Formats: sequence, structure tokens, C-alpha cells
Amino acid sequence: MRCHSLVRGLLILALMVGTFACTKQNVPSQPGFGPGAGGLSEGEGTGGPGGTGGGLGDARWRELGLSSEQEKQEFLAKSQRFENEDIYFDYDAYTLSEPAKRILDEKVAFVKRFPKAKVTIEGHCDDRGTTEYNLALGERRANSALQYIINSGGSRANLTTISYGKEHPAATGNDEASWAKNRRDHFVLNN
Amino acid sequence: MVQKKQSIAWWGFLLIVGAIALAWGEAAWAQRVTIDITQPSFERIPIAIPDFKRQAAEQTQLAREMGETLANDLDYSGVFRPLDPKGFLEDPQTMGLTAGDIKFPDWRRLGADFLVRGAYQVQGSTVKMEGRLFDVVGSRMVFGKVYEGETRNWRLMVHRFADEILYALTGERGVFDSRIAYVQAQGKTKEIYVVDFDGGNPVQVTRDNNLNLSPAWNSNGTQLAYVSYKEGGTKIFAINLMDGAQRLISGHPGLNISPAWRPGSNELAVTLSKDGNPNIYLISSSGEVIQKLVQGFSINVSPGWSPDGKRLAYVSDETGNPQIYVFDVSSGQKRRITFSGNYNTAPAWSPKGDWIAYTSLVGGRHNIAIIRPDGGEVRQLTHGEGSNEDPTWSPDGRMVAFSSTRGGASAIWILQTNGTGVRRLTQSGGGQELPDWSPRMSGR
Repeated sequence: MRCHSLVRGLLILALMVGTFACTKQNVPSQPGFGPGAGGLSEGEGTGGPGGTGGGLGDARWRELGLSSEQEKQEFLAKSQRFENEDIYFDYDAYTLSEPAKRILDEKVAFVKRFPKAKVTIEGHCDDRGTTEYNLALGERRANSALQYIINSGGSRANLTTISYGKEHPAATGNDEASWAKNRRDHFVLNN
Repeated sequence: MVQKKQSIAWWGFLLIVGAIALAWGEAAWAQRVTIDITQPSFERIPIAIPDFKRQAAEQTQLAREMGETLANDLDYSGVFRPLDPKGFLEDPQTMGLTAGDIKFPDWRRLGADFLVRGAYQVQGSTVKMEGRLFDVVGSRMVFGKVYEGETRNWRLMVHRFADEILYALTGERGVFDSRIAYVQAQGKTKEIYVVDFDGGNPVQVTRDNNLNLSPAWNSNGTQLAYVSYKEGGTKIFAINLMDGAQRLISGHPGLNISPAWRPGSNELAVTLSKDGNPNIYLISSSGEVIQKLVQGFSINVSPGWSPDGKRLAYVSDETGNPQIYVFDVSSGQKRRITFSGNYNTAPAWSPKGDWIAYTSLVGGRHNIAIIRPDGGEVRQLTHGEGSNEDPTWSPDGRMVAFSSTRGGASAIWILQTNGTGVRRLTQSGGGQELPDWSPRMSGR
């Protein structure tokens, strides 16, 4: 009996420690610097908080409306892929290619599965164009994805867009391979 | 006033002397009164500017610095060719200041058409500066001016004097006290800076520690609108340059970009995507939407007002790639003007109204071009030296500042609209881009 309660106590303690540790891992960066609110934190473009493994704080789970361990694990696994898979565009275009649509179908499934997830769709361009036109082009790219998700039944409520034009390239080379990597929409989870 | 009368009188005198002395095949002096310096055939006027004469023991280095600043201003105007001071025969510190003391034949022999004699006297924190312009051929003074003020404002005095020289000889003031706003990249952030016309005195204006773009001067040079991500998403702010006060102008969902103040008013044209598509709106300086100007289902961005505020040039990709259009506000009519090349962006309308500068992709590189507002004539001003983008006009419509990577990292460069007189404006590290040229500060 004493053994069991000790074990249980230790388990609870471990869980608490685990939760707090994970909270620290996922402290939001300063206002204006988080992705979707300014986008200057490290790792931007390659995956944000929540994608690095570990869990989220209690408040976050409540915001997401997820309570069971299984749901949480599912979220963590799928959110990695959600944030790490970008869709790509042709030069000076904002129409969706077939491969892009296939990736977007997975995004649609994700937002339907987790309707309380807050998503920012970032639109980006390669650096060959001029600044202001690229800001507008990035916006159109983000909107193309947004419209596709909404038309596929995703809820508009928790989706926002932001354009970074050519300001936040993923690759810095001066060749088609790099440029192609920059003409993208990137998806960021804000909770 | 007396000085003005003198200028006009000497203008008349020069009319006769100039034609004989310079022996141009083409232009008589009468034509020189309205010098068309946009023509490549224009020949700069040789002018001698020795060091200023110091009349007190303080700040001895200003003797050379004042002379050099003035020479640079006149050189940068595209109208003058300052002679090399190394060829001057007399010591500027012993040389005379008035017509009676000047050996005009010596200066004629050096090839100078005009001579400037400056002097200054520093007393503590104030300085008194005198400047006289002499017609070398006519052996007479054209005009003289005295300036007094705080020593730390000596550059401004020199700039004002340069303005007067240009006014006396061309009938139009210079732009020497104008300034150019631009974006300075520093690490991961971009901030708005302002620099003098001659590249001196770069000053950091924003300290948002974020991504700031697209500075835009208002009509009297007291405010800069700009785009910032500091509150999440692109929003347009304005900063008052007198007191540093900042305010949000436009923060609708989606894009709030490319602010352009409407000449002679407190309104701005901006690009907003709040209704689902990037379109151009007219807003008040407190952000209320007055009118939707350009709308459609394609990208409409980058408004650039005509000097009378009745039309604007802008970029639209409604034909599939970006081209320049002109929109008339009262009629609501739009008209495409660029038909050469498949990527034309960033229009800027000359304050003289006679040209629209823009960025044109030619041979895979961005170049600065100018086009008549009716699309009639096109001239390419840069030719593939790096990437040249985002032109902005000087207030006199004679020069264009733009960003160029011809020197490596992006910097602000300036050229005359006849394509000559190319000079680099910004010298700092990091990168400089997105210039916007202020109005004349002295208001005339």
C-alpha cells in the first residue's frame, strides 16, 4: 500500500515536473517578436514553439480544447508536420499547384481536427522582385492558401495571414534552387 | 530686396558676356537662363571655390570644410564643375574678399567662369559666415550674403548659400537642404534613417527594433510615414521629426503598405488588403478611409502622386505581370502606360510633372527608367550595374535617388536625369534601400 502511494506520488510529481519543464520550454517570446506578430524569433521559418517536442502549458491545452493525453500527443505529432511543410509557388505567381493543393489538404485536415488551433499563414517571395510589389504578392500567396482552406470547409475564425514579401528568405543563395525555396507559404501555430 | 535686384541686373549683364566668352556652338546665354540640364549635351559651368577665409582663431578646420561642402553641393547639382583647389595660385587665407582685391585675370586663366569667396568667424557657439559670388569674366560681384547662427548649423548655412548661387545663375533654387529618408538594415532589423543631400549627417529616426520599410515624407517635411511589423502584420505609422512622437495611421487586417502623402493635403494613398485584395485607398492622416481609389481582383500597389495631387501612378498585375498605370482621381479612369518589358514597378512622379521614374526589369536586372506620364517616351537611366530599384525624385525634378547593389551591398545612389553625375549617397555598412526624397526644407 505504502509502495503504491509512493509510486503514485512520484508519478504525480514526475508529471508536474514534466509539465512545468515543458511550460518553460514554451514561454512565448516578447510581443512583436513572435511568429505571426513580427516574426523575428530564432527558428522562424523552420518551425516555431510547439514543434520542438515536449508539451505545452495547461492554458494552451485548454485554449486548444484538448484534454486527453492521446489528443495531446496527436496534436504534437501533427503540428510538427503542419509547421514544417511549406507550399511553394512559381515565379511571380500566387496560384496553387497540384502538389501545393495536396499539402494544403493535409492542412485542411489539421484545422478541421483541431478547430481551435490559431494559425498564421505567412506569404513569402524570392528576392528578385521589388519590395512593395513583393509584399503584395506575398499577401496574395497567403490568401490563396487561406481561400483554399476555407473553401475546403476549414473555419475562417482562427486563421490569419501575414506577408513578409522578400524580407524573410528561407534560403539566401543567388540561384533558382534558393529562389524556389523562398516562394512559399509557411504555416505557424500560435497556440 | 537689394540683393535680388543685383542678381537680376547681373543676369542681364551675363547675357551678353557669356555668349562671347564661352563660344558655344549652340546655346546663347539667353537659352542658358532656362538651362535644360536634362540634356546630355549640357556643359557644366566651371567654378572656383577656394577655402573660406577664417577671421578668428577658432575652428580653423571649417575653412576647408565649408569650401568643400559648397563645392560638393554645386557639383552634385549637376550644373557646376568645381575646379581643383590644388591649382589655385593664392593662399585663401591672405587672398582678398571683395572685387577690388581679386585678381580676376588669374582666375580667368585657370578656366573659372565664376569664383566664390567665403569667410567665417566663430565666436564660442555662434558663427558668422559671409559668401560672395563673382563673375570672373565680368570682373564683378554677382551677389553677397551673410549668415549667422549656431556653429553646429554651419552646414545648413553653406547649403543655403549654394541655393542662392544656383538661384542667381539658373533662376531656380537648389535642393541642398533637402534630405533623403531610407531604410537601414542592421542585423535582423530594419530602421528608418535620414541623411543630408550631400550624404552627411545620417540620423537614425526609428528605434523600433523591428522590421520597418517604405519611409514617405509629408508635404512640408515634418513627418515620415512608414510601414512597420512592430505590432504584428504590416501597419502604417507616422513619426513627427520635430518631437519624435509616433502614432498609428493605418492598422487594418491584412496589408497596410506603400504610404504616399497627397501633395498639398494631409491625405495619403495606401495599399490595403482588408477587403480581400491589395487595393489602393485614400485615407486621412488619422487613418479613416475616405475613398477606394483603385480596386480589382489583381495586385494594385505602390501609389505615386502627380505633383498636383489629381492623379497617381501605381502598379497592377491585372495583365498577368506588374505594369505601371495612371489613375485619375476625379474621373476614376485608369490607363496603362508601360508596354516594354514584363516587370515594371515602383513608380515615382517627378515634382515637375514631366516624367514618371520607375524600376524596370531589363535583361534580367532591375534598372531605373523614366517615362512620360502619357507613356509617350521612355529613357533608361541605369544599365545593369547591379540591381537598381525604388527611384525617388529631388524636389527640383532634376535628380533621382535609388538603391543599387552596384557596389556590393545595397546602398543609396543619386543620378541626374540626363543619366550623368552618378554618385553614392550612403556609405555605412549593412544595406540601405527604399529611399524617399524630402521636399525643400526652406519652403520656397
